[in-house]
Amino acid sequence: MIGRFFLITACLFLATAPAFAAEDPAFKDSIFKVATLKPTDSTLKVKVGDPMPEFDLPALDGSRVRLADFKGKKNLALSFIPAAWTPVCSGQWPGYNIAKELFEANDTALLGLSVDNVPTLFAWVKQMGGLWFPVASDFWPHGRLAQTLGILRSEGVAERALILVDKQGVIRFIDVHDINTRPDFAALVNAMQQLR
Amino acid sequence: MRTLWSVVFCVFLCLAANAAHAVMASESLDSKPVDVGQIFPDLALEGELAAGQGLALGIPEGKLPTTLQALKADVLVVVVFSMYCPYCQREAPVLNELNELIIKRGLADRLKLIGIGAGNSNLEVDVYRKKYGIQFPLFSDQLFTAHKAMGNVGTPFYYFLKREADGRFRVADSLLGCMVSAAGLLDSVVKQTGVEEKK
Repeated sequence: MIGRFFLITACLFLATAPAFAAEDPAFKDSIFKVATLKPTDSTLKVKVGDPMPEFDLPALDGSRVRLADFKGKKNLALSFIPAAWTPVCSGQWPGYNIAKELFEANDTALLGLSVDNVPTLFAWVKQMGGLWFPVASDFWPHGRLAQTLGILRSEGVAERALILVDKQGVIRFIDVHDINTRPDFAALVNAMQQLR
Repeated sequence: MRTLWSVVFCVFLCLAANAAHAVMASESLDSKPVDVGQIFPDLALEGELAAGQGLALGIPEGKLPTTLQALKADVLVVVVFSMYCPYCQREAPVLNELNELIIKRGLADRLKLIGIGAGNSNLEVDVYRKKYGIQFPLFSDQLFTAHKAMGNVGTPFYYFLKREADGRFRVADSLLGCMVSAAGLLDSVVKQTGVEEKK
C-alpha cells in the first residue's frame, strides 16, 4: 500500500512538474532581496594604462587562476560582482553566458570574480545552471585583489566592476558601476573591439 | 475507497509542491501589469530590425523609432524579455516555435509577435537574437522606458493585445513566465482575441 502511494505520488509529481528542468527552478526563490545601496563605496587605486596587479586565486574547479595564465595569450575581462545569491548579480553572468562568441571573436577571456568563498560560489553557479567562463574567489585574504584595485566597499564586498586587461597585462578599460544596476555590456564590447 | 482517497491526496500534494515554483520567470518586485481590459500604452519602439521585418510590420524601410499603434497588426503578442534572464533564454526556442506556428496557421497577416528587451541595448538584444536565431522582431529598451510603461513586469511576460476600432490596443490577456507550449499559447491568443485563422 505504501509502495503504491509513493509510486502514484512520484508519477504525478513528474507529470505536474514544470516542463523545463535544465536549470533549478528554485534559483529565483533562493535570491536574497537587497535594498538599494550607495552606488559606489570605494576609491579606485588603478587607472587605464596601469599594469594590472598580479593575482593568484582559487577557481571553482579546484584550479588556480593567475594573471600570468593570460599574459601574451588573451585579453582578459574581469567581472567583479558584489555577492552571490543577490538580485542584480544573479542576472548579470547569465547574460554573459550567452555571449561566449562575442568574447571569443575579440580574443578575450572572461573571468568572474567575487569575494565570496569557493563553496558559496560553487553552489550559486551550479544552481544558475553553470557558466562557460571560470569563476574565481577573492575571499582570502579577504578581498585582497579588490582592495589592491580599490574596489572593495566598506561593507566588505567588491564593487560591481568590469576591468579589461590587454595581452601585455595593461588595464585598458574600467567601469566601476552603480552596484544597484547592471553595467552596459556594449561599453565592454566596444573596449574589447578596440584591442583588436 | 481508501485507494481513491490516496490518489486524491497524491494529486493535491503534487499540485501544491509544483505550484511553489510554477512561475518560471525572473520576477520584478514592483510589478504592476497593465490590467486586462485596459488600453495598452502606445509604446515608442526602438532598435534595429532585420531585413524584411519592417515591411511585415508596416514600417517603411524598417525606419525606427516607431510606435506600437503604427504597427500593421490586428492582434499583437508582446513578449517582454531580457538577454540576462535565464528563463527568457530557455523560452527562446519555444518563442521561435510560436512564430512558426503563427505563420503555419495563416495568422501572420493579422497577428504579430514582437519582443521588447527590458533594459537591453541594441547590442544586448542582438546577442539574444543571434544566439537563438530569433526570426521575429525584437526591440531594445535600454532605459527601461517601455518596461516602465508596461508596468515593470517580470520576464518573460506576455501581453495579448487586440486593436480597437480607434486604432488603440486593448489588453485581452497577459501571462507571467514561460508558456506551457507554443500551441497552447497561440490557442489562447486566438480564443481571447477572436483573431481568425486563414482557412
